[in-house]
Amino acid sequence: MNAAVEVHQLVREFKGGIRAVDGLDLEVRDGEIYGFLGPNGAGKTTVVRILTTLLRPTAGHARVAGHDVVGEGDAVRRAIGVALQEAAIDPLMTGRELLRMQGALHGLRGGEARERAAALLERVGLTEAADRRVGGYSGGMRRRLDLALALVHRPHVLFLDEPTTGLDPTSRAALWREVRALHEDGTTVFLTTQYLEEAEQLADRVGIIARGKLVAEGTPESLKARVGEPTVHVEISDPQRGRRACEALAGLGAVERPTERAPTRIGVRTAAGRAAIAPIVRALDEAGVAVEFVEVESPTLDDVFMAVTGSHLEGAATA
Amino acid sequence: MREARVVGALGRRALSVQFRRAQLLMPTFVLPLVLLAVIASGTSAGQGLRGFPDVESYLTFVLAGTIVQGTILAGLTAGIAMASDIEFGFFDRLLAAPVRRTSLVLGRLAGTLSLSLLQTSFFLVVASLFGARFPGSVTGVLGAIALAAITAVAMGAVSAAIAIRTGSLSLLQSLFPFMFVMLFTAPAFFPQDLLVPVLRDVSAFNPLTYVVEGVRGLLAGDDAVGAPWAGFVSAVGLALAGIAIATAALGQRLRRL
Repeated sequence: MNAAVEVHQLVREFKGGIRAVDGLDLEVRDGEIYGFLGPNGAGKTTVVRILTTLLRPTAGHARVAGHDVVGEGDAVRRAIGVALQEAAIDPLMTGRELLRMQGALHGLRGGEARERAAALLERVGLTEAADRRVGGYSGGMRRRLDLALALVHRPHVLFLDEPTTGLDPTSRAALWREVRALHEDGTTVFLTTQYLEEAEQLADRVGIIARGKLVAEGTPESLKARVGEPTVHVEISDPQRGRRACEALAGLGAVERPTERAPTRIGVRTAAGRAAIAPIVRALDEAGVAVEFVEVESPTLDDVFMAVTGSHLEGAATA
Repeated sequence: MREARVVGALGRRALSVQFRRAQLLMPTFVLPLVLLAVIASGTSAGQGLRGFPDVESYLTFVLAGTIVQGTILAGLTAGIAMASDIEFGFFDRLLAAPVRRTSLVLGRLAGTLSLSLLQTSFFLVVASLFGARFPGSVTGVLGAIALAAITAVAMGAVSAAIAIRTGSLSLLQSLFPFMFVMLFTAPAFFPQDLLVPVLRDVSAFNPLTYVVEGVRGLLAGDDAVGAPWAGFVSAVGLALAGIAIATAALGQRLRRL
């Protein structure tokens, strides 16, 4: 599979020697959603600004859609769509005016730009608000318009910089649906986020950035598998049957025995995760142990982040 | 052709936003007329001074100053709007588009040019309602509108260059007082020959002097009142220099990214 984004030893230093990006290497495959996960100040936006030609790297190389971001900026700009962190939309213009202007910036002629604007307004559910000034739009509407603006010229690679930050759950879900639809259409999406749930829900692969470096990369499942297997927790009815239950479950994974504080709780750590629920319940039933309830606890991307950086991801709980 | 469409789209946006932002509309359309009313009513006795040019109406004479004041303000608001785009991130949207960097400057100036055409026409209509007469006929009036538009582009280019260089909205807003310095060091509301010697010497180096006199000559239909060609040379020279400076400033800004 071809690479839509290739980054090699990318460095960006700001005044005072601050290294926002520090020797970053990454590759985004054609057609995938790449979740770029990290806390505030990790360097996500700096990377996006470099990849979208809005910032020059201090060192290293980056190619987007096969073009060098420094030497072939115009070709890169033709291939990409960008929705930056702060939806920089002129509040005095209407949604339709903005889309038509964006169309002209990308070489669409009058009629073509008008049609495309109408189609995109329909797609993001803003047809009714199309002729209202953007200053009166809600945060969610602005984000949807920003997304529509980024799609005017049917970009090959779409950069979304924290697209759902500050949005309510409904608006967030609507945007996620749109991103998934774009993915199905074959658009490559480079998505930065500080929300774990967003990365898990949307991304084919996730890159975790901390202090300007890529500290982990892979599918959400593979990343979580690196920090540990899921644990199936079983709550039994009778604490006197704990020993028997543990014996019955011994062959199904690493058993965590009941403790004094939780005498009815038994854990089974197994790579099978949810798939192990049925065999566990069956084994306990055969051993004559009554089960109150069962739950599966999987490692989260925050656990991955904790494992690779030693700290939790800010905002992880607010997703 | 593609870049012309880009310039057109950015120009349309610049103009429409101008009319939706009261803080930009007031100084460009209302303030100059207020100043014209004050000057025309308060200093009309100056027309009786020895050495004052032989003009048909004092209002027409000072109107040239109002028109040039309008061009400076139109230009300054172009810079303010650009600084606002930079400060609030809209400029990034433009930079992320596959367009020539010069088109971003020219698009903004296309808006300024259109604004100036409307603005000068408006001033002329209002002044004529209050009794101003234009012996220069339609040709003179159209010439004055064109000269003012070129001057507005020049002013817009200079303030856009400042906006691009600094990215500071507050700095652009603080330049308003300098507009009056430029205006009053040109013979905007008084004949150059009647200015005090120091001011007369300074006015000879102010390119707006030639624009004011050019507009005045065109409206009066009399080259003796002011030479239009000198006005056009000054305005075009200033516009070309301004565009070059603004484009260079943008190039420098992009290299600094």
